[in-house]
Amino acid sequence: MSENTELTPEQAVRAVMQDILGLDADQVAAFTAETELFGALPELDSMAVAGLLTELEDRLDIMIEDDEVDGELFETFGNLVAFAEMKAAE
Amino acid sequence: MNVELEHASYQFEGYDELCLKSGQNHAHSILLIPPLFDEMNRMRMMLVDVMRMLDRKAIGCILPDLPGTNESLFPSEKANLTVWKQALSQCCDQHLEGRHIVSFRGGCLIDMIIDKPILWRFAPVNGNSLLRTMMRARIASDKEAGQNVTMDQLANEADAAMVNLAGNLLSGQAFAELGDAVPADAQSTRLALLQGRSQPADIHLAGSALWLRAEPERDLVLSQAVADDIADWISA
Repeated sequence: MSENTELTPEQAVRAVMQDILGLDADQVAAFTAETELFGALPELDSMAVAGLLTELEDRLDIMIEDDEVDGELFETFGNLVAFAEMKAAE
Repeated sequence: MNVELEHASYQFEGYDELCLKSGQNHAHSILLIPPLFDEMNRMRMMLVDVMRMLDRKAIGCILPDLPGTNESLFPSEKANLTVWKQALSQCCDQHLEGRHIVSFRGGCLIDMIIDKPILWRFAPVNGNSLLRTMMRARIASDKEAGQNVTMDQLANEADAAMVNLAGNLLSGQAFAELGDAVPADAQSTRLALLQGRSQPADIHLAGSALWLRAEPERDLVLSQAVADDIADWISA
């Protein structure tokens, strides 16, 4: 069995963004809290957002309820990371 | 990568279901079970790349379409996990000589289809995760149309008759089966996950989660790593 270490919420969000957008790690490492997401990245459509939320649930072992998801969550990278950190700490 | 792919078919419940075959003259051949729903489309290029790479390693592949998907004439609203397992079992009877089965993502939920299968699983996913993603896509599209619907309401809709989730018609049975489905325990399973996943696996492969992409894309490095590991597993 090979070993892997646990991801922090921020690392998990970066990894999922990397997979959705098809970027390399350096490009996603350049994302800051102010980086705009929904509306600024054409790949991030509603289907991709749906996949993103489920993937975060799986990777961080969290459950995200319908009413926790709104437009603001996907405005910036910082908002999304803060949400993931809040959920992982619950 | 000029490998001849043969368009074949298998019979299921009176329907002629398509399957793609490669390298049928080789001593070994394996069945590939694709991911389910949208993920199948996003990973199809990867599966075909893997087929071509395995052909060069003298391993043949059979990649069936599932009833009710792609070009299948089977009514999609009658499809469910039980139907898909029955169909795959028929496909094995008609095309597969050995017991090696390779399944991807949601395909790992329907891979117990022969006696004592020898399984290689890639990034298995629970049915509930697939269901939640499809429900979220439906909730988002309804919201754009000015309607609010919840996951509970969608579950009730499915239970009453049928629910349309992101273009997939799911009956109550299909919805319920998917919600409960997890990869079955099997005696012989080799598990491959992507790097960065914390769960234990037999191997972690570097590459992209292509099932998350907005459009179907390929990752030849990952496909090659998958083909290499499958070839090692078969020769072991």
